Amino acid sequence: MTNYLFQTKINFERIVLRNKAFFLFDMLLPITFYLLYTKILTTGIPANAMAVWNEDYLVSMMIYSCMLGGIITTSNTLLDDQTSHFKLFISLKPISKFQYYSSMALVFIFLNLISSILICSVGIFINHIDLSLHLLIILICINLLGTIPLILIGALISLAKGSNTVNLLNNLVVFPLAIISGLWWPIRIMPDWLQRIGKIMPTYQLSNLEQTFLHTGSINWHAIINISAWLVIIALLFLVLSRIQKRKGSIFE
Amino acid sequence: MSNILSIQNINKKFSGKTVLKNINLQIYSHSIIALVGANGAGKTTLINIILGLITSDSGKITFLNTQHWKQITGVMMQDNLALNRIKVKEIINLSRSYFKHPLSYQKLLSLSGLNDLENNYMNQLSGGQKRRLSFALSLSGNPEILFLDEPTVGMDSNARHDFWQEISKLRQNGKTIFVTSHYLEELENIADRFLILQNGSIAFDGSIQSLRNIQGNSLVEFDSELNIKTFTSIQNIISIEQLGQHFQIVTNDPNDLIIAITPYLTAITNLQIKQTNLDTMLLNYREEHNHD
Repeated sequence: MTNYLFQTKINFERIVLRNKAFFLFDMLLPITFYLLYTKILTTGIPANAMAVWNEDYLVSMMIYSCMLGGIITTSNTLLDDQTSHFKLFISLKPISKFQYYSSMALVFIFLNLISSILICSVGIFINHIDLSLHLLIILICINLLGTIPLILIGALISLAKGSNTVNLLNNLVVFPLAIISGLWWPIRIMPDWLQRIGKIMPTYQLSNLEQTFLHTGSINWHAIINISAWLVIIALLFLVLSRIQKRKGSIFE
Repeated sequence: MSNILSIQNINKKFSGKTVLKNINLQIYSHSIIALVGANGAGKTTLINIILGLITSDSGKITFLNTQHWKQITGVMMQDNLALNRIKVKEIINLSRSYFKHPLSYQKLLSLSGLNDLENNYMNQLSGGQKRRLSFALSLSGNPEILFLDEPTVGMDSNARHDFWQEISKLRQNGKTIFVTSHYLEELENIADRFLILQNGSIAFDGSIQSLRNIQGNSLVEFDSELNIKTFTSIQNIISIEQLGQHFQIVTNDPNDLIIAITPYLTAITNLQIKQTNLDTMLLNYREEHNHD
């Protein structure tokens, strides 16, 4: 346990505290989007509809922020650990790979917690959303749990190796996924076929889960099952690809 | 000496090309084993398979007397750890934290030779300093068996000398050391056992003396304007090589060779008799194998 805590502390320092520029960018992008779509590009919307939009878009931007943190930060950090031979270093030590990945995941979840709190603060202090602290805390917790499959997607992308490929995959996954999941614009404005695809995605289901809880206070079990299924599929895919790379001898190239 | 590691029938192909075939080895404690061979001979692949970084197509690796082989092994790979935002003292402490019985922080810092740089970030270190740090990190868990893959690449001559002194001390303390290096003259003086890996197979397994018995123990060198055919007919020559006017002849019987070339002494200058070195023997080995 001691080495787990020490490893997590070191990971936190190198990924967050000693990488402030990256940390700020990671936080600012979703906040900027939130302000853009709730303060600037919203002319002609009635006040009561605007209040609902501010709340719904708060949820969307919390999820989008976790996509940036969960997918882009994870994949780039794991790739960095590979090119700097840190993953190789860890693989040769008497600790499990689960310890390495879970310790990293804790840091990424913490990053997502900070960004969720910051977006909620913007919602409260600038957009004056009327949600109880209790409800916001539950929404943030649901969001952080929903982040786990996103972190796994980031880990999966990092297996692609090479910063060019990883960046390309990040862009190919994050932005289209955000759009078809209805995080930037409502999903109902999209063609039916695209809506059908979007509604299967884990980020749409996470948004659905949070918005159901936000508006009705009930748990959307269908969304939870969908997200869990994605978690299992991505984890299996990660394990299979890791094994193939180990067999091909390319895991630490 | 007891058997510490057993390697049985290891085979490996990459994209249909055989990289290792039927590797069988028993590694005994308290010794230095040098794994040598040309680039692409399969040295690093073999080490990666032993360390579980790559899976073999068939065969078995067994670290004897332990279920937790990573607790008793230390590894210094070819590539240096090059993390940007971790300090020297942090990586040493992190590495120590993984082991049940680690060496002390001060001992590891001293082995790394970075006593004044413990607060520096790793990316501020020179290539040689990173190498020394990798060596110290490989000893974090006070290992019984140490794997060193090209350990002295990037070190200056002083650092290399100090490094091999440390390795000597480790052997005296009962450690087993498995090492690959392209600096063959360094291995020659220190290794107890040589494994020559050629085209994926162990072509030789034994001491340097037994290798000399096969490959010739003496190297006779001289300069001459005479044609190489003058010397090729001499008996008991193992190999002869001409580089311009410089001749290198490997033999087990230097006295007979000197007698045989006496009639040509007026046309010979800079005559020297040396013990054959590993470089020459490996070169001969490769040529013989290529001719087979």
